[in-house]
Amino acid sequence: MKIAVCCKAVPGAVSDVEIEADGTALRYRSQVQSLNECDEYGLEAALALKRATGGEIIALTMGPLTAQDILHLALAKGADKAVRIDAKVQDARAASKVLAAALKTLACDLILTGTQSRDSLTSFVGISTAQELGIPFAFAVTAIEMDGPGAVKVRKELGSGRSAELRLQLPALLCVQTGIQPLTYVPPARLLRARQQRLQSLSLEELGLTADQLAPRGYRFASVAPPVRSGRVEWLQGSPGEIATQLLAKLKEVD
Amino acid sequence: MQGSVLVIAELWNGKVEGVTLQMLTKGRSIADRLGLRLGLLVIGQNLENVVANLRDRGADDIFVVDDARLATPAGDVEAAAIVAALHEITPRLVLVGATLVGMERAPAIAARLDLPALTNCVDVDVEDGEIVATRPLFDGTFHAKLVLAGQGTALVALQKGATPTMPLPAKQAVVRSLAVDLGAASTRATVLAIIEEPASDIDITKADIVVSVGRGIGAREKLPLIEDLARALGGLMGCSRPLVDQGWLPRERQVGASGKTVVPKVYVACGISGASQHLAGMSESKMIVAINKDREAPIFQVAHYGIVGDLFEIVPALIAAAGKSG
Repeated sequence: MKIAVCCKAVPGAVSDVEIEADGTALRYRSQVQSLNECDEYGLEAALALKRATGGEIIALTMGPLTAQDILHLALAKGADKAVRIDAKVQDARAASKVLAAALKTLACDLILTGTQSRDSLTSFVGISTAQELGIPFAFAVTAIEMDGPGAVKVRKELGSGRSAELRLQLPALLCVQTGIQPLTYVPPARLLRARQQRLQSLSLEELGLTADQLAPRGYRFASVAPPVRSGRVEWLQGSPGEIATQLLAKLKEVD
Repeated sequence: MQGSVLVIAELWNGKVEGVTLQMLTKGRSIADRLGLRLGLLVIGQNLENVVANLRDRGADDIFVVDDARLATPAGDVEAAAIVAALHEITPRLVLVGATLVGMERAPAIAARLDLPALTNCVDVDVEDGEIVATRPLFDGTFHAKLVLAGQGTALVALQKGATPTMPLPAKQAVVRSLAVDLGAASTRATVLAIIEEPASDIDITKADIVVSVGRGIGAREKLPLIEDLARALGGLMGCSRPLVDQGWLPRERQVGASGKTVVPKVYVACGISGASQHLAGMSESKMIVAINKDREAPIFQVAHYGIVGDLFEIVPALIAAAGKSG
């Protein structure tokens, strides 16, 4: 069993967001990058499967050199191998084309991703990658178990407290839901050791992709700004006691 | 139907989900402003009653794919049905719900047809004759406005609760059945069972007052403080998803897209930043109070009353005040 986990390096707080001249990408300043939390759950799910059935875990990311830190974290957590696609792609469709091309070369049985990245928030790339690869998929998966050698049985959320249980033939791609496994702590010593491990790097050229194939189409950014507040919020101010008195009075007005 | 606006319906057990009506409201307004027809695509099995009930919901046309293979929610079969329908309808704009179901559907459709797709949008509108969608970025700290630039079909996925359901002009939609060949749809994913959460003793959807707690609580041991506040106000305690993920509270307490939708008279959000998934489950509450240390937290977008401060100072004061006035 060979499992790939797609991991994204996402920025902390960002500032100075500007639209690039061509209108289809953003540039911004950001704090240090970290492993996208939803993807960390994908990694934990892979580790749990490996504990149960054995196998190999490959952590895959796409990004510049600074994205390497999250791969070291993945290795420290227990991934066997880490691969970085050396590319900066913001468009979700293009990102899934690049990931699919890399995943083809890795020939995995199971591909795990999170449900959303905290920077772009599209919830798009996982399923789109499965489509590019032409393999079965499930979104918001909360449980995974092997079902014979060539299939997995999964439970996925449908919203409003409903779930479905599905059997998927492998290879398959699952976007795992947060909470599928508890997040584990990595001791600093293990992280230091992981930093010594070799990371594999793939270029777009090696994947046979050109910038032209990855150009975003069909939309352009008109503006990017902090959200406009609805305007209805009334701030309650003062000492905690004063705030409590004001709020209790407001609550009494509600029938 | 070339160049129409098309809403893809979301159904459950023969009933239409609220997000579909919200999309019809939005879709009607966009279609009118662009001079286009509004279509509704309904897929599933035994749809006669559902379709009859949807005929006066603002759409000009209802397209129906009624097929036994659509009886269970198999994502790839549904995507194949929608893709085949889109080939016939060729709309300008496709609206999908940014729900857990839609988050699987939208990328599956867009990738198969290579459509431009803007997902997880909080709004879509017409500005200067162009379709403009608004979506959050960077954990909701920014909103981007994006113009759909091309002339071909494009897809927008709209968050549940992002737009209100409005009364729509009474018109009787023309119903058209589409014969779609699902023979080639994949059978590599099989639905084995559908599981509906069993009813529990605690039903936060029936409470007049819900006091919800989020990550801001910091530690599991602090939860009784919020429970005390809920009790003091005569309500029930709810929570955001991360607390359930960490095993601190049971799923029956969870408010949001993947949990319960609540519409209480008063909703008090304690230490909840307000991710869109959470807002989807509570934004229709009559009065929303938010307590958060971060003034920029998205929860204040929907709050009527905002308190910027430390939970551990504000909540005890509220409990004391409620005890005095109670």
